[in-house]
Amino acid sequence: MSTQTVRGAGLEQRSVNRDGFGPSGPSLRIRVRFHGRGGQGVKTAGRILGTGAFLSGYHCQDFPVYGAERRGAPVASFARIGNRPIDERGVISEPDLILVADATLLDDPAAGVLAGNEAASALFLNGNPDAPLPDLGNRLHLIRWDLTGAAIGRLGRAGALSAGLGAAAARFVGIVAEEQLVEAIRSEFTHLGLSTGEVDANVAFGLDVFRALPTVSFRDVAETEEGLGDSVVPMIPADPLAGGPNVISPGNATLRDTGAWRLERPVIDRDRCTRCGLCLIRCPDGAISWDEEGLPVIDEQHCKGCLICRQICPIHGIGLEEEARP
Amino acid sequence: MKVTREHYRSVKDLPSAEFVAPGSPLCAGCGGLTTLRLFHKVLGGKVVVVNAAGCMTLMATYPFTPLRSSWLYTTMASPSAGAQGLRDALDILIESGRLPADENLEVLVLAGDGSTIDMGLSSTSGAIHRGLNFWYLCYDNEAYGNTGFQASPASPLGSLTATSPLGTPWSKKDIFEIWRSHRPPYVATISPHDAVDLAEKIERARPLCGPKLFVSLATCPPGWGFEPAMGDELAKLAIETGIWPLKEATDGSIRHTFIPEHRRPVEAYLEPQRRYRHLFHPDRRDDVIAAIQAAVDRYWDAAIASERC
Repeated sequence: MSTQTVRGAGLEQRSVNRDGFGPSGPSLRIRVRFHGRGGQGVKTAGRILGTGAFLSGYHCQDFPVYGAERRGAPVASFARIGNRPIDERGVISEPDLILVADATLLDDPAAGVLAGNEAASALFLNGNPDAPLPDLGNRLHLIRWDLTGAAIGRLGRAGALSAGLGAAAARFVGIVAEEQLVEAIRSEFTHLGLSTGEVDANVAFGLDVFRALPTVSFRDVAETEEGLGDSVVPMIPADPLAGGPNVISPGNATLRDTGAWRLERPVIDRDRCTRCGLCLIRCPDGAISWDEEGLPVIDEQHCKGCLICRQICPIHGIGLEEEARP
Repeated sequence: MKVTREHYRSVKDLPSAEFVAPGSPLCAGCGGLTTLRLFHKVLGGKVVVVNAAGCMTLMATYPFTPLRSSWLYTTMASPSAGAQGLRDALDILIESGRLPADENLEVLVLAGDGSTIDMGLSSTSGAIHRGLNFWYLCYDNEAYGNTGFQASPASPLGSLTATSPLGTPWSKKDIFEIWRSHRPPYVATISPHDAVDLAEKIERARPLCGPKLFVSLATCPPGWGFEPAMGDELAKLAIETGIWPLKEATDGSIRHTFIPEHRRPVEAYLEPQRRYRHLFHPDRRDDVIAAIQAAVDRYWDAAIASERC
């Protein structure tokens, strides 16, 4: 596995000459898949990449897929870019580039972050470049970079990463120039109804990322034809009974790990706690309970980090810790 | 005004059992989930939840469910019809001795404002008319939240939704009064902020046989646009500004369980929410804010006058 660890400016640039791939050059097709959690902006990141590529004169598609779940749950979005009309449809099962906004998704098999990675040219992971990693196979070009840190630096908060993630994708793909990227970010955020100040901050964030990251090289288009070539990607039908709504283990949602949704964790000051019980009552998920000493304890596996407990604590006895980002 | 509390003095008196387990895939900070958890806690575990399509259907995404009680999923328009079928089945099975009486369940419809106030209203109207003995819990987040926050008839005046980007031009449908006009034994509004009030109302409704409605304001971080941590604060502001009156109607006669004598201006509730941001930026829309305030004042002037006489 070739690992590229990018730390701000002065990094190794692996530029690829794209001049030959203009709208009339040899065939080009890049398939990009974004993974993140609801609210992190993977849909908007896909749109920024798609719009940026379109403004640069390429054909493109971009679309998200949401499960039945919610903010904090795994979501994905897709983009196809080429210099010929794209007839391919459907989700991308064999991406050329995978971008992961939240490294905790690697631990969630249902998120399928690495599905079809065998053929991918590059994997981008938002996270600490030095953190230990699970086995990712040996075919991927791995780029690890602290996008969340860059977002906090520019926007003052860790929540929405869309401008940075879209800019990272645009940079790796290498066919979108700075000017088109800025126009794409402006266009997407203006549609979202953000104020001029917020749009400007996101443009700055996008440019930070764009200038810090390298381009990567992709496989030749002849190798990347999906399935039967330029056609509709087949959807494999599932047995309808497999999705039947017959749950026979009541309360088994506790098996799920919704604690990975958190960016910040509440920490109860056990010395000052008056045992009023308000945090137990107001926690939407019921993730706080009494321990054997009669003090409230937070269920780390299920606390989603909404921080209502911290907000309502009458003695301000609940502190805050940034979640260690993998 | 202070309402006498007959069953619970403080949150410490609430039952400790939980029937909604953690680990559900609902949004962080969901006010509707807080309400459901508290409601289920007080109502007890012998419950079958009849869940109309909506945000809460996603609690139970196969093969996981946070509910420790039974669950039936219905279309958006038919939870009350589903409740009728379950109630009838339970009654017949118990009466014929095929089910022991101690296995009886409370039938609880769980539906959002879209189902309750809009799509499912006709089947519910029929069920109330037939005197069906069931509980109805509506989590009102004031839009079709599950599909991307489109306007529903519960969306309040001036609020921004995906289908009303300039603000909804209408006032909220009054589901409390629509139900009350059917003369059911019990109708109430509740809030995730006031757990004791919520619990008291369940206890007051428990001995009553027939349709029992509870409408809860469901604070919605992604739809309303606020940080999840502010959820309880907003629910509190909704009560303190008088926008969300806490009341009940037993056999048709209304009583407010909290009267905010010194109401805060509605801006305190509106301004922190993205769905009302267009009323403050870039230009302040005093006309719309004044219209919202006037509606609240009109409501409370009439309510206070009628409760004092």
